Amino acid sequence: MEFIAFAIAMAVASQAMKGYRLARERTLLYLNFSFLLLGAGLLVDGLANLIVLLSKFHRNLLFLSRIGYTIDFLAQLVAYVILVIVYLQQTRAWNSQLAAAALPLVLLENNPLTELVLIFLLVYISGQSAINYNVSKTTNSLLVFGAFTSLAVAHVFFLLFTIAPIFFPFAHISQLFGFLLLLGMLFKVNQTQ
Amino acid sequence: MMPSKQHPTSKSAKYRSQFRIYVDIMRVIQREGNQGKPTRILYGANLSHDRLVKYLSELKALAVIQESGADEKVYSLTQKGIEFLNNFRKVEAFAGAFGFKI
Repeated sequence: MEFIAFAIAMAVASQAMKGYRLARERTLLYLNFSFLLLGAGLLVDGLANLIVLLSKFHRNLLFLSRIGYTIDFLAQLVAYVILVIVYLQQTRAWNSQLAAAALPLVLLENNPLTELVLIFLLVYISGQSAINYNVSKTTNSLLVFGAFTSLAVAHVFFLLFTIAPIFFPFAHISQLFGFLLLLGMLFKVNQTQ
Repeated sequence: MMPSKQHPTSKSAKYRSQFRIYVDIMRVIQREGNQGKPTRILYGANLSHDRLVKYLSELKALAVIQESGADEKVYSLTQKGIEFLNNFRKVEAFAGAFGFKI
């Protein structure tokens, strides 16, 4: 599932880069960075889990899964902070104090608290995309709203997974669904005449 | 890619960037059935005469529009211009999906 999500994140990053090259609009460059980071994190996590799986959960290799998760977690954290900053800039609520406040969050280690921070960031991004959908009423903006909401729900499941293992597949399915919605948006955008 | 001297992101809400003006002019030409007369472009793109002349000259230099007509000048999009507008629409739809204006 991580590899599919990785491929979709790279496709979104590529589209953002194409847009930046055409329009030289900085927000598209930040969007590109954000999805590159998301993709890189997913790839590292996916590879680490694959190695552990292929080794049939060899005791000496279990640490790779933890490292993969931590890298993916930090990549997501930075990616979503970038997106939040871009949305804050768009709404003109951005200031340097907020940047300074957001920076230490990146330095936290993997724990339920940091998972909560991811949820908080994703809820904010989902809120902004909901506002965008409310204004534009386009299918594309609805797909992006659905994607970020799905990713937020995935992290709620990841948080619940620390309490009960049953939530683990739901978290991955929700994450994949979010990226598939982004893929749908990409297809629709490229059909634009 | 269309070259541009500046893209003031932070000022985009107040001022149209040069890039945005290029796009507006090209869209007016397309809307006019790819036969844009200067007066129609001037009103459609909301420009003064001096600025219109300047931007039309720049767009011609970029080979995205061409001029024809002897008495009254008429501007049309070149193949490069049509392709550029098509690509721009995709970028606009992509950015718009995230709520970003370009």
